Amino acid sequence: MTRIDPKFGKKLKRYGAFDYDACYNCGTCTSVCSLAKKDEEFPREMVRYSATGNQDEILSSLKPWLCYYCGECSTNCPRSANPGELMMSLRRWLTARYDWTGISGLLFTSLKATVIALLTVAAGVILFAFFMNFDPEAVMKYGHYFEMAAISGVFAVILLPNLIRMWYFTVIKPGYKVSFKAYFIALKELFIHMFTQKRALGCDDNRKRWFEHFILVIGYLTLLFTTVFLDWFGTDSLYVIVGGYIVSAIVFIVTADFVTGRIKKSKEISRHSRPSDWLFVIWLLLMGLTAFIVRIAIDTDILHDNFWIYLIHLTILAQWALIIVPFGKWTHFIYRSFAIYFSKLTSN
Amino acid sequence: MDKKLGVYICACGGNISDYVDIEKVREAVKDEDCVLLARTTMFACGDSNQKEMEKDIQENNLSGIVVASCSPKLHLTTFRSVSERAGLNKYNYVHANIREQASWAHSGNKQGATEKAIHLVKAAIAKARFAKSLEPTRIKSQKSVAIIGAGVAGIKASIALSNMGDNVYLIERENKIGGKLASLGKVFPGNITGEDMIARLNEEVKNEDRITLLTSTKIKECSGNIGDFRIRLQDNIETGEPAVSEREINVGSILVATGFESYTPSEGEYGYKEIDNVITLPEFRDLIKNGKEGKELVFKNRKIRDIAFIYCVGSRQIKGENKYCSRYCCSAAIQSSLDIKERFGDVQVYHFTKGVRTYGSQELKYAEASRSGDIFIQFPDKDEPVVSSEKGVTLIKAKDILSAKKEIEAAVDLVVLVTGMVPDSDKSVGSLLKLPRGRDNFFNEIHMKLRPVETVIDGITIAGTCQGPKGVMESVNSALSAAVKTHSFVSKGELELSPIVAYTDVKTCEWCGACSEACPYNAISKSEEDGKVVAIVNKTTCKGCGMCLPVCDSDSIELTSFTNNEIESMIEILAN
Repeated sequence: MTRIDPKFGKKLKRYGAFDYDACYNCGTCTSVCSLAKKDEEFPREMVRYSATGNQDEILSSLKPWLCYYCGECSTNCPRSANPGELMMSLRRWLTARYDWTGISGLLFTSLKATVIALLTVAAGVILFAFFMNFDPEAVMKYGHYFEMAAISGVFAVILLPNLIRMWYFTVIKPGYKVSFKAYFIALKELFIHMFTQKRALGCDDNRKRWFEHFILVIGYLTLLFTTVFLDWFGTDSLYVIVGGYIVSAIVFIVTADFVTGRIKKSKEISRHSRPSDWLFVIWLLLMGLTAFIVRIAIDTDILHDNFWIYLIHLTILAQWALIIVPFGKWTHFIYRSFAIYFSKLTSN
Repeated sequence: MDKKLGVYICACGGNISDYVDIEKVREAVKDEDCVLLARTTMFACGDSNQKEMEKDIQENNLSGIVVASCSPKLHLTTFRSVSERAGLNKYNYVHANIREQASWAHSGNKQGATEKAIHLVKAAIAKARFAKSLEPTRIKSQKSVAIIGAGVAGIKASIALSNMGDNVYLIERENKIGGKLASLGKVFPGNITGEDMIARLNEEVKNEDRITLLTSTKIKECSGNIGDFRIRLQDNIETGEPAVSEREINVGSILVATGFESYTPSEGEYGYKEIDNVITLPEFRDLIKNGKEGKELVFKNRKIRDIAFIYCVGSRQIKGENKYCSRYCCSAAIQSSLDIKERFGDVQVYHFTKGVRTYGSQELKYAEASRSGDIFIQFPDKDEPVVSSEKGVTLIKAKDILSAKKEIEAAVDLVVLVTGMVPDSDKSVGSLLKLPRGRDNFFNEIHMKLRPVETVIDGITIAGTCQGPKGVMESVNSALSAAVKTHSFVSKGELELSPIVAYTDVKTCEWCGACSEACPYNAISKSEEDGKVVAIVNKTTCKGCGMCLPVCDSDSIELTSFTNNEIESMIEILAN
């Protein structure tokens, strides 16, 4: 027996959901959904749980992550109840619930908190540079250490515990019995989906978007790996430099296309952008852009005299690594692929 | 016999002639006694043939015609009109059905079909030989009408009839007009309240000179028939109002608009009368009306923040008798929900429904309510919610169809049972007027779609919710249409009734009462003629059904157009 909880709806609205209470449960959304299957039906069910405030059902469900926001549900909804945007909001809410620190929830629901967080990190970077006497060599050296420390720290302290919480809520608590072997067998799914987002191809007319998204993920992972772990910023190899320019240029164009998509609201998915969505794409763009400029500055040998260029890049990077990655939209990279992994485990 | 008959055999474009040899039929009947001319035609109903027939009648001075074609349901009136246009009394026309009864029925046996067609036409000719010219019975009709019930339907009908020039007696048992609508708040759709609507109508009634308003009045007796009803009125003792002197009114037609009653839940139905914060929708409407705007809604010293409506109480019953949908309640509940939020601020409303039926523009109200945060739960028809009180908390437990019948509950401060409509428990009007009721116990019309306001009692129409659940809009619609129908009975001051009625032969009749008992319309009464007790048929009440004929031992009753001579001569032909 679950008590109906109307307050849940009010909470959900702060995560971006709107008008979903206009739903009269015709089920058009589920029937037009290209991704819903017989034993994985959504989004109507999730709309219903949201309307009656059944948090337990939503928290234990992986379905919000299985939705890739093709938008057909919202386009075809006879009541304009925006089921697609509700699923998006549920993903934000779930991200907040998985996060043990509670910071995600704060940032998703308060623009003020987000701005304060961004400013705090920026001030920290400036302060750090100040203590280094704005010495480019030292700042860049420690900046590089910081990058590595931030990535491993965020993973160990925030992302891993949150992932374990997700696993507990969706696999353990609902009582699925999964054999040890099954965890290994399903790993294949995890990696395929993590690096290819294959499932998104299931949306109709989504090849271009999928391809762009794919380029982005691979592009940024490459940049991350080459710059942070191999420190190719300091390289002299012409191949690497030219290759770097090309990769950066492609990633840029694609990111810029994502940003303009959100500005133009051309597709259902980009129609109702929240601050968290803007933050994600804009910082992605800025990160690439500043890295690119830094690269040019290094190659034209002007960085030393224009050190602020690197400082801006470092600020963007720090904000990205300390705010957006652990508590923002970046986490969908992990949760989406793990949702498919867990879903594979629980469906057997 | 000196009758001159014209016989027309129709091919119906092949529908008949493909199976019945119509030329053979013509040959077989052309020399029958009294037949002056016999023709075949491609389409008897066609314009050219109709003109041909008119010419034949006039040129040959025909005294009777027979058309052998399709079912009389299709074209009896067509050919009656042909005879009338040609100056021949229409009752001299006889119809033979050789399509449905011969060609279509025996398409596998052409010879048999043709033989049968010959028999049918000969029988029709035999009847036509005896056919007589008849004139409709004309009776005087009072140019006044009685309307029983002054709810919104009765009032609107009375104003309409008065505007059309009829004298109207508007009879109401209560001491004021307006019925149920007068006590309602805002009525969907629109923002006007029931009170305002009735106040406006009250003014209109006052300004109509031809309306005689009789409040606190009941009907004691009713006799007579269409054009001439006599109603005895009596002041309504129960209300204790000063008596309107007992009087009799004489009217040409009666319009019944006695309305409905709200269903009263039985004790314990969803906790009614057992849990003190379970009330019905009408009780809740009163609560809203009497509450102070802007302040919180309070019931029994308890602030109301959460309300649950349970729908279909007394309607669409699985176990009970009321299988019908009461039509207005879904919209009324949703309207109430919007009203309370407008008047008393933030209230959380839960709707436990069997599926919301807000048809037409009321759908917009449903959308508005659900957008404003109302939560709708649809429970299974056979698994109704349970209302309980646990440690002072009123709980409603239900299975939510929309989440795979998961059990959910709501804790509320007030439970409103959305009660439907049932027929008025005062059955006196219905039994005095002998109005038939349907399976739902509301008054019955003759035909739901084609004759929606007439009853089987000539001259009595029904309107509004006495006929079945209706919203205000639908009630007024039916009232205005009943008004027009009622007006048509009295407008000319004279009525034409069908001359096909029964009549008794006073010479042979030895009153036994069997015919009177058999008559479904109370048209036969005991009477004294020349010192002899006999049965007399009231021509205005008789419908010509013929029920009285076979029960008469002395064979003293005949039916015009279906006399013994006519029927026996037909049988003789068909049996040969």
